[in-house]
Amino acid sequence: MIVSISSLALGVIVGYLGQRSRMCSIGGVRDYVLVRDTGLLKGAAALLVTSWVGFGIVRLISGSDIGHGLIAAGTTPSGVGAVVAILVGAIVLGVFATLSGACPLRQHVLAGQGRIGAWAFLAGFYLAAVVYTSWISPSIGSWVL
Amino acid sequence: MTAGTAAHERERIRADIGQRVRRWPRSPVFYGIVVGALAVIVGEYLGVSPPAAYGLCSACHGRDLADWIINHTEGKNLFVTGAGVGWPVLTVVGLVVGSFVAARRNGEFSSINLGANVRQFGFGAVVMGAALFVGGCPTRIIIRTGYGDLAGLIALFGVAAGIVMATLSMRWVARR
Repeated sequence: MIVSISSLALGVIVGYLGQRSRMCSIGGVRDYVLVRDTGLLKGAAALLVTSWVGFGIVRLISGSDIGHGLIAAGTTPSGVGAVVAILVGAIVLGVFATLSGACPLRQHVLAGQGRIGAWAFLAGFYLAAVVYTSWISPSIGSWVL
Repeated sequence: MTAGTAAHERERIRADIGQRVRRWPRSPVFYGIVVGALAVIVGEYLGVSPPAAYGLCSACHGRDLADWIINHTEGKNLFVTGAGVGWPVLTVVGLVVGSFVAARRNGEFSSINLGANVRQFGFGAVVMGAALFVGGCPTRIIIRTGYGDLAGLIALFGVAAGIVMATLSMRWVARR
C-alpha cells in the first residue's frame, strides 16, 4: 500500500514541476544541437548529479558496499553482445523519442496539459507495454531489467 | 533612518525573496535537484524498490501498472517487477494529474490538436518497446547512471547519440 501512495505522490510532484519547468530529458541534447540552448541540459545534469550524490549518501547511511569502484555490483553487461544490444536499443529509443517530440515522461505531462497527440502517443505506449511483456520479452529474454 | 522606513525596507526584501522562490519551479535545474532527491528517497526508503534505482520511470512504471491491471482483470500472469506486484505503482497516473493541476492553476490548460496522431501512436509503441529493452525511459536511465549502473551509462550514451542523429536528420530534411 505504501508503494501506491508514495509513487502517486511522487508522480503528482514530478508532473507539477515538469509542467512548470517544461523539463524533458531528451530536450536538452536536442536544444543544444539545434540552437545551442543549455537550459534543459543543465536540468538533466542536475538530475544526474543529484541522484549520484543521493545514492552516495544512502550508501553512507546504510553502510553497504558500493561494489567495485564506482560501478554498482551486478550491473555490468554480460558481454560484447549485450553492450551492442543495449546501444542499439538506446539509439532506437533516442531517435524515435526525438521524432515524437518529447521523452515519455514529458509526453505524460503534455497529455495532462491537453495535447491530443500526447494521448495518441500514450495509447501506443501502453499497448506496446502489454504486447512486449506478453510476446516479445519471453522470446528474446532480457539483459537488463 | 526611522523605524518606518526600516520596516518598509524589510517588507520589500521579503516580497523580493518571495517572488524569487515562486519563480523556482520554472527552472529545469530546480526540477533536476528535487526530482533526483525524491527519486532516491522513494526508491530506497518508501517501498518502490526491488529493482535498484526504481524510484521514477515512466516506461517501467507504466508497464507495471498496465500488466497489473491485466493480471487482475483477465487472470493472466504477465511480468510485473517486485515493487508493483501487491499494490499497483501509480506514478504515471500521478504525472498526468499533477501536470493537469499545474496547467489549470496557471491558465495553460488547452486542448490542442497538432495532427499526425496515428504517427504519434506508432512512435509511442516503438519508444515503449525500446525503453523496456534497454531498461527504462530516458529519465530512469539518468537516475540509474547516478546509481552507478554501467548498463545505464552505456544506454545514456546511446540515447544521446540517437537524439543527435534524429535532430541532425530532421534539420537536414527541413533545410532541403
